[in-house]
Amino acid sequence: MSGPLLEVEGLKVEFDTWDGRVRVLDGVSLSVSPGETLGIVGESGCGKSMTALAVMGLVPKPAGHVTGGAIRYRGEDLVKASDGRMRDLRGNRIAMIFQEPMTSLNPVFTVGDQIAETARLHLGLSPAEARKRAVEMLRAVHIPEAERRVAEYPHQFSGGMRQRVMIAMALACEPEVLIADEPTTALDVTVQAQIFDLLEELRAAEGTAIVLITHDMGATAEMADRVVVMYAGRKVEEGPVDAILGNPAHPYTQGLLACRPNLQLGHAAARPQLHEIPGVVPPLHLLGRGCAFADRCPRAMPRCGEAFPPAYDVGESHAAACWLLEEARAA
Amino acid sequence: MVEETGDGRPETKARGLWREAWSVFRRNRAALVGLALLAIIALVVVLGPMAYPVDPFDIVGAPKARPGAEAEAPLGTDYLGRDVLAGLIKGGRPTLLVGFCAALITALIGITIGALGGFYGRWVDGVLGRVTEFFQVLPALLFAMVLITLFAPSLLTVTLAIGIVAWTSMARLTRAEYLRIRELEYVRAARSIGASNARIIWRIILPNAMPPIMVSATLATGSAILFEAGLSFLGLSDPNIMSWGLMIGSNRNYLREAWWAVTFPGLAIFVTVLAISLVGDGLNDAFNPKLRTR
Repeated sequence: MSGPLLEVEGLKVEFDTWDGRVRVLDGVSLSVSPGETLGIVGESGCGKSMTALAVMGLVPKPAGHVTGGAIRYRGEDLVKASDGRMRDLRGNRIAMIFQEPMTSLNPVFTVGDQIAETARLHLGLSPAEARKRAVEMLRAVHIPEAERRVAEYPHQFSGGMRQRVMIAMALACEPEVLIADEPTTALDVTVQAQIFDLLEELRAAEGTAIVLITHDMGATAEMADRVVVMYAGRKVEEGPVDAILGNPAHPYTQGLLACRPNLQLGHAAARPQLHEIPGVVPPLHLLGRGCAFADRCPRAMPRCGEAFPPAYDVGESHAAACWLLEEARAA
Repeated sequence: MVEETGDGRPETKARGLWREAWSVFRRNRAALVGLALLAIIALVVVLGPMAYPVDPFDIVGAPKARPGAEAEAPLGTDYLGRDVLAGLIKGGRPTLLVGFCAALITALIGITIGALGGFYGRWVDGVLGRVTEFFQVLPALLFAMVLITLFAPSLLTVTLAIGIVAWTSMARLTRAEYLRIRELEYVRAARSIGASNARIIWRIILPNAMPPIMVSATLATGSAILFEAGLSFLGLSDPNIMSWGLMIGSNRNYLREAWWAVTFPGLAIFVTVLAISLVGDGLNDAFNPKLRTR
């Protein structure tokens, strides 16, 4: 594996709100290499999607600002790139698929027009060539009867089929980085598996780097090579997927893993109660200096409220930010 | 929106928004009546002058002849002895032309201002919103009269004047649509494939905002026709071009002796505006999914 294709370093994003300026991303760092899948996991509101939008240069304006850090694509800092340069890259080299396939397609154009649009914007294809490309892409995402369906409208497609169309749109220019923001959350379980198979197939065939944003630990286990765990705008743990799932070091990651339901038969009363992490992600404007997870952490210590812990290495390219690890090291 | 597929089979299943709207529209009897009326009016206005080539300014008989009293003028003559039927047939053209063109200008100004304000928000919306309000609080008729008297009263000035005073509601409607649509996922998706602002405004959002704008433009045509009639009535349109409004205006002093010279053009305007309103209502039902279940 060569050097990272996309590298995010110390990314800070802030939003102006009625409660003042709120930091939604605080020093997030991550990287992906060609042909690698990076999973970003965490609860709603922890900054996963904001990280993706920042990479795309789509932090909602005027409220949001990237206030620090760098986003490097092949060494080029995208934070400093011009709007025109970002438009060139978006959809062309770095593409994104969204959470809601039902609403992410424009209802008044045929799916073929929408896939062709990407190709025409970036590859300068003629309408006829772009249409051919659209049919090819529909075939590549395994939509049957692609020649016929290319002329149909989004409402004639099911949810899973629409997500395939979204993927076809995102991949029409053969991007090097594909950001998938909860691509299967809105879909049936069986369809989820198909979409993951499709992404896996494309990654293997084209060597696309995939950033998979999800709150589904099962999906992460299935897809990701490495995992970044985020909480309240910060990275709390990072490591290879086996290490994160098999030997989580941060109490938050341990909590997330414990929350997964197990398939067990038997009377309802006999089944073990589903584990939960009490509380919710705190409002970002109320964060103190300490660890944001301290209020919900079963193993919180006094010092957790005082300062945010640095990242401690806990294994081969596996690190977590928690004071417990220093205690463990000292002992 | 029927398209040929790659293998040459005609596409029967691909029904876009417009086709679906038409299938709803088709079931609305009042709207169909309106559409038929409009078709008849258009036919008479376009082909009528050829079938009935009497100059509406020619004096064909005695003044104020009753309908049927003179063979040359089946609907009677006006206070100067001019043929009322010829006026009705020939006068429809400028009336409808002014109506449609004024509605077009209304739509152009309204859509542009509404789209830019709604899309960009912030100070752009602030400035355009104040401009809209400025035009909204002007007394429309008075302002149009000022514009027309400043320049020569011609069809062009009348059309422009109506367009300039009538665009505000279109701008507000368009702005509201843009405010709603710009937050939708497919706009974000369009951005994520690298579409520029201009492309998003005109190619992505506009087609989705079109249904209510179309309804509003249709109804604007009706009110533009009424407005033109009003201006003509006041003697503020081109006196050398016969229009329904001009007929009413010039004959209004003789209403008691020659009611037909005022009544028939009045009926023509009434029927035309009614037909346009029926079609507009039909479009509204067809495009508004909340009303579809009725």
